[in-house]
Amino acid sequence: MSLEYFTSILVPMLEGAQMTVLLFFIAIIVSVPLGFLLTLAVKSSFKLVSLLAQGYIYVMRGTPLLLQLLLICFGLPMLPVVGEYLVFDRFVAACIGFVLNYAAYFAEIFRGGLLSIDKGQYEASKVLGFSKWLTTTRIILPQMVRVTLPAIANESVTLVKDTALLYAVAVPELLHFAQTAVNRDFTIVPFFVAGMIYLVMTLVLTFIFKGIERRYKFE
Amino acid sequence: MAIVEISNLKKSFGKLDVLKQITFDVNKNDVIAVIGPSGSGKSTMLRSLVHLEEINGGSITIDGEAFVKDGVYAKPQDIKKITSKMGMVFQHFNLFPHLTVKENLELPPKLVKNEPVASIQQRSTELLRKIGLTNHADFYPANLSGGQKQRVAIARALMMNPEILLFDEPTSALDPELTGEVLEVIKALAQEQMTMIVVTHEMGFAREVANRVIFMDNGEIIETGHPSELFTNPQNERTKAFLSRSLK
Repeated sequence: MSLEYFTSILVPMLEGAQMTVLLFFIAIIVSVPLGFLLTLAVKSSFKLVSLLAQGYIYVMRGTPLLLQLLLICFGLPMLPVVGEYLVFDRFVAACIGFVLNYAAYFAEIFRGGLLSIDKGQYEASKVLGFSKWLTTTRIILPQMVRVTLPAIANESVTLVKDTALLYAVAVPELLHFAQTAVNRDFTIVPFFVAGMIYLVMTLVLTFIFKGIERRYKFE
Repeated sequence: MAIVEISNLKKSFGKLDVLKQITFDVNKNDVIAVIGPSGSGKSTMLRSLVHLEEINGGSITIDGEAFVKDGVYAKPQDIKKITSKMGMVFQHFNLFPHLTVKENLELPPKLVKNEPVASIQQRSTELLRKIGLTNHADFYPANLSGGQKQRVAIARALMMNPEILLFDEPTSALDPELTGEVLEVIKALAQEQMTMIVVTHEMGFAREVANRVIFMDNGEIIETGHPSELFTNPQNERTKAFLSRSLK
Protein backbone atom coordinates (compact mmCIF):
# COMPACT_ATOMS: atom_id res chain seq x y z
CA MET A 1 0.00 0.00 0.00
CA SER A 2 1.90 2.99 -1.26
CA LEU A 3 1.48 6.56 -0.13
CA GLU A 4 0.80 7.57 -3.76
CA TYR A 5 -2.11 5.17 -3.94
CA PHE A 6 -3.46 6.50 -0.68
CA THR A 7 -3.37 10.13 -1.90
CA SER A 8 -4.79 9.10 -5.27
CA ILE A 9 -7.97 7.81 -3.63
CA LEU A 10 -8.06 10.38 -0.83
CA VAL A 11 -8.15 13.45 -3.09
CA PRO A 12 -11.35 12.57 -4.98
CA MET A 13 -12.95 11.37 -1.75
CA LEU A 14 -12.20 14.65 -0.02
CA GLU A 15 -13.67 16.45 -3.02
CA GLY A 16 -16.73 14.25 -2.63
CA ALA A 17 -16.78 15.10 1.06
CA GLN A 18 -17.22 18.76 0.06
CA MET A 19 -20.64 17.80 -1.31
CA THR A 20 -21.40 16.07 1.97
CA VAL A 21 -20.42 19.14 3.97
CA LEU A 22 -22.29 21.49 1.64
CA LEU A 23 -25.47 19.42 1.88
CA PHE A 24 -25.07 19.23 5.64
CA PHE A 25 -24.88 23.01 6.04
CA ILE A 26 -27.74 23.72 3.66
CA ALA A 27 -29.92 21.12 5.37
CA ILE A 28 -29.16 22.29 8.91
CA ILE A 29 -29.42 26.03 8.18
CA VAL A 30 -32.78 25.72 6.46
CA SER A 31 -34.42 22.85 8.33
CA VAL A 32 -33.81 24.12 11.89
CA PRO A 33 -35.79 27.38 11.47
CA LEU A 34 -38.32 25.57 9.27
CA GLY A 35 -38.70 22.96 12.01
CA PHE A 36 -39.36 25.66 14.57
CA LEU A 37 -42.04 27.21 12.34
CA LEU A 38 -43.59 23.74 12.04
CA THR A 39 -43.63 23.45 15.84
CA LEU A 40 -45.42 26.79 16.07
CA ALA A 41 -47.87 25.59 13.40
CA VAL A 42 -48.57 22.40 15.39
CA LYS A 43 -49.24 24.53 18.47
CA SER A 44 -51.35 27.02 16.52
CA SER A 45 -54.85 27.70 17.74
CA PHE A 46 -56.06 27.47 14.13
CA LYS A 47 -57.13 23.83 14.03
CA LEU A 48 -56.55 23.48 10.27
CA VAL A 49 -52.99 24.81 10.43
CA SER A 50 -52.22 22.51 13.35
CA LEU A 51 -53.71 19.46 11.61
CA LEU A 52 -51.82 20.14 8.38
CA ALA A 53 -48.54 20.51 10.28
CA GLN A 54 -49.16 17.32 12.25
CA GLY A 55 -50.04 15.45 9.05
CA TYR A 56 -46.88 16.72 7.38
CA ILE A 57 -44.69 15.61 10.29
CA TYR A 58 -46.39 12.22 10.34
CA VAL A 59 -45.77 11.61 6.63
CA MET A 60 -42.18 12.86 6.66
CA ARG A 61 -41.22 10.81 9.71
CA GLY A 62 -43.30 7.83 8.72
CA THR A 63 -41.69 7.17 5.33
CA PRO A 64 -38.04 6.50 4.47
CA LEU A 65 -35.88 9.46 3.54
CA LEU A 66 -34.58 7.41 0.60
CA LEU A 67 -38.12 7.05 -0.75
CA GLN A 68 -38.63 10.80 -0.44
CA LEU A 69 -35.35 11.52 -2.24
CA LEU A 70 -36.16 9.13 -5.07
CA LEU A 71 -39.62 10.67 -5.38
CA ILE A 72 -38.27 14.21 -5.64
CA CYS A 73 -35.41 13.32 -8.02
CA PHE A 74 -37.13 10.84 -10.29
CA GLY A 75 -40.83 10.80 -9.39
CA LEU A 76 -41.92 14.40 -9.62
CA PRO A 77 -40.74 14.90 -13.24
CA MET A 78 -43.02 12.00 -14.22
CA LEU A 79 -46.16 13.82 -13.05
CA PRO A 80 -48.49 14.79 -15.89
CA VAL A 81 -48.66 18.50 -16.85
CA VAL A 82 -46.61 19.91 -13.94
CA GLY A 83 -43.84 17.31 -14.17
CA GLU A 84 -41.75 19.22 -16.68
CA TYR A 85 -41.48 22.15 -14.24
CA LEU A 86 -40.31 19.87 -11.45
CA VAL A 87 -37.05 18.74 -12.96
CA PHE A 88 -34.33 19.91 -10.60
CA ASP A 89 -30.61 19.52 -10.57
CA ARG A 90 -30.01 16.29 -8.58
CA PHE A 91 -28.13 18.05 -5.81
CA VAL A 92 -30.81 20.73 -5.52
CA ALA A 93 -33.48 18.03 -5.43
CA ALA A 94 -31.56 16.20 -2.70
CA CYS A 95 -31.25 19.41 -0.68
CA ILE A 96 -35.01 19.92 -0.92
CA GLY A 97 -35.60 16.35 0.23
CA PHE A 98 -33.24 16.62 3.21
CA VAL A 99 -34.63 19.99 4.29
CA LEU A 100 -38.25 18.80 4.12
CA ASN A 101 -37.45 15.59 5.98
CA TYR A 102 -35.21 17.03 8.69
CA ALA A 103 -37.57 19.94 9.36
CA ALA A 104 -40.12 17.35 10.53
CA TYR A 105 -37.62 15.78 12.95
CA PHE A 106 -36.48 19.15 14.29
CA ALA A 107 -40.12 20.15 14.74
CA GLU A 108 -40.64 17.14 17.02
CA ILE A 109 -37.47 17.97 18.97
CA PHE A 110 -38.56 21.57 19.46
CA ARG A 111 -42.06 20.50 20.47
CA GLY A 112 -40.50 18.43 23.23
CA GLY A 113 -38.36 21.41 24.22
CA LEU A 114 -41.37 23.69 24.49
CA LEU A 115 -43.19 21.15 26.68
CA SER A 116 -40.33 21.33 29.17
CA ILE A 117 -40.71 25.07 29.71
CA ASP A 118 -42.60 25.97 32.87
CA LYS A 119 -45.84 27.88 32.37
CA GLY A 120 -44.61 30.34 34.98
CA GLN A 121 -42.21 31.69 32.34
CA TYR A 122 -45.14 32.67 30.13
CA GLU A 123 -47.01 34.13 33.11
CA ALA A 124 -44.07 36.22 34.30
CA SER A 125 -43.55 37.49 30.73
CA LYS A 126 -47.20 38.43 30.41
CA VAL A 127 -47.32 40.28 33.72
CA LEU A 128 -44.15 42.19 32.78
CA GLY A 129 -45.93 43.35 29.64
CA PHE A 130 -44.08 41.32 26.98
CA SER A 131 -45.84 40.77 23.67
CA LYS A 132 -46.18 37.21 22.35
CA TRP A 133 -43.29 37.89 19.96
CA LEU A 134 -40.98 39.14 22.72
CA THR A 135 -41.94 36.24 24.98
CA THR A 136 -41.18 33.72 22.25
CA THR A 137 -37.92 35.24 21.01
CA ARG A 138 -36.37 36.54 24.24
CA ILE A 139 -37.65 34.14 26.89
CA ILE A 140 -38.87 30.87 25.40
CA LEU A 141 -36.47 30.33 22.47
CA PRO A 142 -33.20 30.60 24.44
CA GLN A 143 -34.50 28.16 27.05
CA MET A 144 -35.80 25.81 24.37
CA VAL A 145 -32.41 25.83 22.63
CA ARG A 146 -30.67 24.83 25.84
CA VAL A 147 -33.06 21.94 26.48
CA THR A 148 -32.97 20.66 22.91
CA LEU A 149 -29.23 21.03 22.19
CA PRO A 150 -28.30 17.40 22.96
CA ALA A 151 -31.12 16.14 20.73
CA ILE A 152 -30.17 18.59 17.96
CA ALA A 153 -26.55 17.45 18.20
CA ASN A 154 -27.67 13.83 17.89
CA GLU A 155 -29.85 14.61 14.89
CA SER A 156 -26.97 16.50 13.24
CA VAL A 157 -24.70 13.48 13.53
CA THR A 158 -27.42 11.41 11.88
CA LEU A 159 -27.64 14.02 9.15
CA VAL A 160 -23.91 13.73 8.38
CA LYS A 161 -24.32 10.00 7.87
CA ASP A 162 -27.58 10.35 5.94
CA THR A 163 -25.78 12.46 3.34
CA ALA A 164 -24.49 9.10 2.06
CA LEU A 165 -27.98 8.71 0.55
CA LEU A 166 -26.80 11.13 -2.15
CA TYR A 167 -25.18 8.00 -3.57
CA ALA A 168 -28.63 6.62 -4.37
CA VAL A 169 -29.59 9.61 -6.47
CA ALA A 170 -26.26 9.63 -8.26
CA VAL A 171 -24.80 12.83 -6.86
CA PRO A 172 -21.04 12.23 -6.68
CA GLU A 173 -20.09 12.46 -3.03
CA LEU A 174 -17.72 10.82 -0.58
CA LEU A 175 -19.21 7.35 -0.71
CA HIS A 176 -19.51 7.42 -4.50
CA PHE A 177 -15.77 7.92 -4.91
CA ALA A 178 -15.01 5.25 -2.31
CA GLN A 179 -17.22 2.73 -4.12
CA THR A 180 -15.63 3.64 -7.47
CA ALA A 181 -12.14 3.06 -6.06
CA VAL A 182 -13.17 -0.24 -4.49
CA ASN A 183 -14.55 -1.54 -7.78
CA ARG A 184 -11.65 -0.26 -9.86
CA ASP A 185 -8.77 -1.34 -7.63
CA PHE A 186 -10.32 -4.40 -6.03
CA THR A 187 -9.39 -3.35 -2.47
CA ILE A 188 -11.53 -2.47 0.54
CA VAL A 189 -9.15 0.24 1.78
CA PRO A 190 -11.26 3.08 0.30
CA PHE A 191 -14.21 1.99 2.47
CA PHE A 192 -12.08 2.40 5.58
CA VAL A 193 -10.81 5.77 4.39
CA ALA A 194 -14.41 6.87 3.82
CA GLY A 195 -15.30 5.67 7.31
CA MET A 196 -12.43 7.67 8.78
CA ILE A 197 -13.57 10.82 6.97
CA TYR A 198 -17.11 10.41 8.34
CA LEU A 199 -15.67 9.89 11.83
CA VAL A 200 -13.60 13.07 11.57
CA MET A 201 -16.66 15.04 10.46
CA THR A 202 -18.84 13.74 13.30
CA LEU A 203 -16.03 14.31 15.78
CA VAL A 204 -15.70 17.96 14.75
CA LEU A 205 -19.48 18.30 14.99
CA THR A 206 -19.53 16.77 18.47
CA PHE A 207 -16.90 19.24 19.68
CA ILE A 208 -18.78 22.17 18.19
CA PHE A 209 -21.99 21.14 19.97
CA LYS A 210 -20.18 20.54 23.25
CA GLY A 211 -18.91 24.13 22.95
CA ILE A 212 -22.37 25.49 22.29
CA GLU A 213 -23.79 23.48 25.20
CA ARG A 214 -21.22 25.03 27.53
CA ARG A 215 -22.29 28.49 26.41
CA TYR A 216 -25.92 27.67 27.10
CA LYS A 217 -25.40 26.31 30.60
CA PHE A 218 -26.66 29.38 32.47
CA GLU A 219 -24.85 28.61 35.68
CA MET B 1 -59.80 57.02 46.87
CA ALA B 2 -59.65 53.39 45.93
CA ILE B 3 -56.85 52.45 43.55
CA VAL B 4 -58.24 48.94 43.03
CA GLU B 5 -61.98 48.29 42.95
CA ILE B 6 -63.16 44.75 42.65
CA SER B 7 -66.87 44.12 42.45
CA ASN B 8 -68.90 40.93 42.14
CA LEU B 9 -65.98 38.94 40.80
CA LYS B 10 -67.12 35.54 39.57
CA LYS B 11 -65.00 32.74 38.25
CA SER B 12 -65.73 29.11 37.63
CA PHE B 13 -63.74 26.19 36.30
CA GLY B 14 -66.45 24.12 34.62
CA LYS B 15 -69.12 23.54 37.25
CA LEU B 16 -66.89 24.53 40.13
CA ASP B 17 -67.37 28.12 41.31
CA VAL B 18 -63.97 29.20 42.62
CA LEU B 19 -64.89 32.86 43.12
CA LYS B 20 -68.40 33.88 44.12
CA GLN B 21 -69.21 37.58 44.12
CA ILE B 22 -65.90 38.84 45.48
CA THR B 23 -66.09 42.56 46.27
CA PHE B 24 -63.48 44.74 47.94
CA ASP B 25 -61.53 47.95 47.46
CA VAL B 26 -57.87 48.69 47.95
CA ASN B 27 -56.81 52.20 48.84
CA LYS B 28 -53.50 53.76 47.99
CA ASN B 29 -50.78 52.70 50.48
CA ASP B 30 -52.88 49.80 51.76
CA VAL B 31 -51.15 46.57 52.62
CA ILE B 32 -53.76 43.87 52.37
CA ALA B 33 -53.15 40.33 53.52
CA VAL B 34 -55.39 37.71 52.00
CA ILE B 35 -55.57 34.57 54.11
CA GLY B 36 -57.61 31.41 53.96
CA PRO B 37 -57.37 27.65 53.47
CA SER B 38 -55.95 26.08 50.31
CA GLY B 39 -58.44 26.06 47.48
CA SER B 40 -60.34 29.05 48.87
CA GLY B 41 -59.74 31.06 45.67
CA LYS B 42 -57.11 33.49 47.03
CA SER B 43 -54.60 32.91 44.25
CA THR B 44 -57.25 32.82 41.53
CA MET B 45 -58.54 36.18 42.74
CA LEU B 46 -55.04 37.66 42.66
CA ARG B 47 -54.31 36.21 39.24
CA SER B 48 -57.56 37.68 37.88
CA LEU B 49 -56.27 41.14 38.74
CA VAL B 50 -53.36 40.84 36.31
CA HIS B 51 -55.41 38.98 33.70
CA LEU B 52 -53.71 35.62 34.19
CA GLU B 53 -57.22 34.26 34.73
CA GLU B 54 -60.33 35.27 32.79
CA ILE B 55 -63.24 36.00 35.08
CA ASN B 56 -66.82 35.08 34.22
CA GLY B 57 -68.52 38.08 35.77
CA GLY B 58 -67.91 41.27 37.72
CA SER B 59 -65.67 44.30 37.30
CA ILE B 60 -62.08 45.18 38.06
CA THR B 61 -61.12 48.84 38.09
CA ILE B 62 -57.52 49.98 38.49
CA ASP B 63 -56.81 53.62 39.18
CA GLY B 64 -60.24 54.63 37.85
CA GLU B 65 -60.10 52.54 34.67
CA ALA B 66 -61.98 49.26 34.32
CA PHE B 67 -60.32 46.57 32.20
CA VAL B 68 -63.25 44.25 32.78
CA LYS B 69 -66.73 45.60 33.44
CA ASP B 70 -69.66 43.33 34.26
CA GLY B 71 -67.74 40.39 32.84
CA VAL B 72 -66.91 42.14 29.54
CA TYR B 73 -63.22 42.69 28.87
CA ALA B 74 -61.79 45.84 27.30
CA LYS B 75 -59.68 45.75 24.12
CA PRO B 76 -56.39 43.84 24.51
CA GLN B 77 -54.20 46.95 24.34
CA ASP B 78 -56.34 48.65 27.00
CA ILE B 79 -56.16 45.59 29.25
CA LYS B 80 -52.39 45.64 28.83
CA LYS B 81 -52.14 49.33 29.63
CA ILE B 82 -54.32 49.09 32.73
CA THR B 83 -52.79 45.89 34.14
CA SER B 84 -49.28 47.29 33.61
CA LYS B 85 -49.85 49.37 36.75
CA MET B 86 -49.53 46.17 38.73
CA GLY B 87 -46.50 44.02 39.41
CA MET B 88 -46.68 40.40 40.47
CA VAL B 89 -44.44 38.19 42.57
CA PHE B 90 -45.06 34.47 42.18
CA GLN B 91 -44.79 31.59 44.59
CA HIS B 92 -42.22 29.89 42.37
CA PHE B 93 -40.33 33.12 41.53
CA ASN B 94 -40.49 32.53 37.76
CA LEU B 95 -37.16 34.21 37.19
CA PHE B 96 -35.76 33.83 33.67
CA PRO B 97 -33.12 31.10 34.09
CA HIS B 98 -31.15 32.06 30.97
CA LEU B 99 -30.54 35.60 32.22
CA THR B 100 -28.31 36.81 35.04
CA VAL B 101 -29.79 38.62 38.03
CA LYS B 102 -28.96 41.98 36.48
CA GLU B 103 -30.40 40.96 33.11
CA ASN B 104 -33.56 39.67 34.79
CA LEU B 105 -34.00 43.13 36.23
CA GLU B 106 -33.05 45.17 33.18
CA LEU B 107 -34.43 43.23 30.23
CA PRO B 108 -38.17 43.79 30.91
CA PRO B 109 -38.01 47.61 31.12
CA LYS B 110 -35.57 47.68 28.18
CA LEU B 111 -37.99 45.72 26.01
CA VAL B 112 -41.26 47.15 27.22
CA LYS B 113 -40.63 50.68 28.43
CA ASN B 114 -39.43 53.58 26.41
CA GLU B 115 -36.77 54.55 28.89
CA PRO B 116 -33.08 55.47 28.58
CA VAL B 117 -30.76 52.57 29.40
CA ALA B 118 -28.84 54.70 31.91
CA SER B 119 -31.89 55.24 34.07
CA ILE B 120 -32.77 51.53 33.90
CA GLN B 121 -29.26 50.61 35.03
CA GLN B 122 -29.34 53.16 37.79
CA ARG B 123 -32.61 51.70 39.08
CA SER B 124 -31.35 48.11 38.93
CA THR B 125 -28.19 49.03 40.84
CA GLU B 126 -30.25 50.76 43.48
CA LEU B 127 -32.72 47.86 43.79
CA LEU B 128 -29.93 45.28 44.00
CA ARG B 129 -28.47 47.23 46.88
CA LYS B 130 -31.87 47.41 48.52
CA ILE B 131 -32.38 43.64 48.40
CA GLY B 132 -28.77 43.10 49.47
CA LEU B 133 -27.64 41.28 46.32
CA THR B 134 -25.23 43.78 44.78
CA ASN B 135 -22.53 41.11 44.70
CA HIS B 136 -24.83 38.66 42.92
CA ALA B 137 -25.62 40.85 39.89
CA ASP B 138 -23.88 38.47 37.48
CA PHE B 139 -25.16 35.23 39.02
CA TYR B 140 -27.64 33.06 37.19
CA PRO B 141 -30.82 32.16 39.10
CA ALA B 142 -29.65 28.52 39.26
CA ASN B 143 -26.87 29.62 41.60
CA LEU B 144 -29.10 31.49 44.07
CA SER B 145 -30.93 30.23 47.13
CA GLY B 146 -34.74 30.32 47.16
CA GLY B 147 -34.79 33.40 49.36
CA GLN B 148 -32.36 35.21 47.08
CA LYS B 149 -34.42 34.23 44.03
CA GLN B 150 -37.58 35.64 45.56
CA ARG B 151 -35.80 38.88 46.47
CA VAL B 152 -34.66 39.19 42.85
CA ALA B 153 -38.23 38.49 41.69
CA ILE B 154 -39.48 41.34 43.88
CA ALA B 155 -36.82 43.66 42.48
CA ARG B 156 -37.72 42.61 38.95
CA ALA B 157 -41.36 43.53 39.57
CA LEU B 158 -40.28 46.87 41.05
CA MET B 159 -38.18 47.66 37.97
CA MET B 160 -41.43 48.29 36.09
CA ASN B 161 -42.41 51.00 38.62
CA PRO B 162 -45.78 49.43 39.47
CA GLU B 163 -48.33 51.34 41.54
CA ILE B 164 -49.58 48.14 43.10
CA LEU B 165 -47.60 45.02 43.91
CA LEU B 166 -49.29 41.63 44.17
CA PHE B 167 -47.71 38.70 46.00
CA ASP B 168 -48.96 35.16 45.44
CA GLU B 169 -47.76 33.17 48.48
CA PRO B 170 -44.26 34.63 48.18
CA THR B 171 -42.76 32.44 50.90
CA SER B 172 -44.65 29.17 50.45
CA ALA B 173 -41.96 27.58 48.29
CA LEU B 174 -39.14 28.53 50.66
CA ASP B 175 -37.42 26.65 53.45
CA PRO B 176 -38.62 28.09 56.77
CA GLU B 177 -35.22 29.66 57.53
CA LEU B 178 -35.33 31.60 54.25
CA THR B 179 -38.77 33.20 54.64
CA GLY B 180 -37.47 35.92 56.95
CA GLU B 181 -35.23 37.63 54.40
CA VAL B 182 -38.11 37.82 51.90
CA LEU B 183 -40.60 39.11 54.46
CA GLU B 184 -38.07 41.78 55.48
CA VAL B 185 -38.01 43.11 51.91
CA ILE B 186 -41.82 43.22 51.79
CA LYS B 187 -41.90 44.97 55.17
CA ALA B 188 -39.46 47.59 53.92
CA LEU B 189 -41.76 48.20 50.94
CA ALA B 190 -44.71 48.63 53.29
CA GLN B 191 -42.76 51.28 55.17
CA GLU B 192 -42.22 53.09 51.87
CA GLN B 193 -46.01 53.18 51.42
CA MET B 194 -46.12 50.69 48.56
CA THR B 195 -49.65 49.51 47.85
CA MET B 196 -49.66 45.72 48.16
CA ILE B 197 -51.96 42.74 48.16
CA VAL B 198 -50.28 39.73 49.71
CA VAL B 199 -51.77 36.25 49.60
CA THR B 200 -50.02 34.51 52.44
CA HIS B 201 -49.98 31.73 55.00
CA GLU B 202 -47.67 33.71 57.27
CA MET B 203 -50.08 34.83 59.99
CA GLY B 204 -47.40 36.60 62.02
CA PHE B 205 -46.40 38.62 58.98
CA ALA B 206 -50.03 39.46 58.11
CA ARG B 207 -50.60 40.64 61.63
CA GLU B 208 -47.50 42.79 61.75
CA VAL B 209 -47.49 44.38 58.30
CA ALA B 210 -51.03 44.46 56.90
CA ASN B 211 -53.46 47.26 57.64
CA ARG B 212 -56.32 45.05 56.52
CA VAL B 213 -56.80 41.30 56.46
CA ILE B 214 -59.22 39.52 54.18
CA PHE B 215 -60.22 35.99 55.13
CA MET B 216 -61.46 33.92 52.19
CA ASP B 217 -63.03 30.49 52.24
CA ASN B 218 -64.72 28.52 49.50
CA GLY B 219 -64.60 31.37 46.96
CA GLU B 220 -66.08 34.00 49.25
CA ILE B 221 -64.81 36.77 51.49
CA ILE B 222 -65.95 35.62 54.91
CA GLU B 223 -64.51 38.36 57.04
CA THR B 224 -62.36 41.41 56.67
CA GLY B 225 -60.88 43.79 59.19
CA HIS B 226 -57.84 45.29 60.81
CA PRO B 227 -55.44 42.53 61.90
CA SER B 228 -55.78 43.53 65.54
CA GLU B 229 -59.52 42.80 65.38
CA LEU B 230 -59.57 39.89 62.98
CA PHE B 231 -56.82 37.88 64.65
CA THR B 232 -57.83 38.53 68.26
CA ASN B 233 -61.58 38.68 67.96
CA PRO B 234 -62.83 36.98 64.79
CA GLN B 235 -66.60 37.25 64.33
CA ASN B 236 -67.28 34.39 61.96
CA GLU B 237 -67.15 30.72 62.99
CA ARG B 238 -65.17 29.76 59.90
CA THR B 239 -62.58 32.46 60.59
CA LYS B 240 -62.27 31.23 64.15
CA ALA B 241 -61.84 27.64 63.05
CA PHE B 242 -59.23 28.58 60.42
CA LEU B 243 -57.25 30.79 62.79
CA SER B 244 -57.26 28.25 65.60
CA ARG B 245 -55.85 25.72 63.10
CA SER B 246 -53.16 27.99 61.67
CA LEU B 247 -52.05 29.84 64.79
CA LYS B 248 -51.21 26.65 66.65
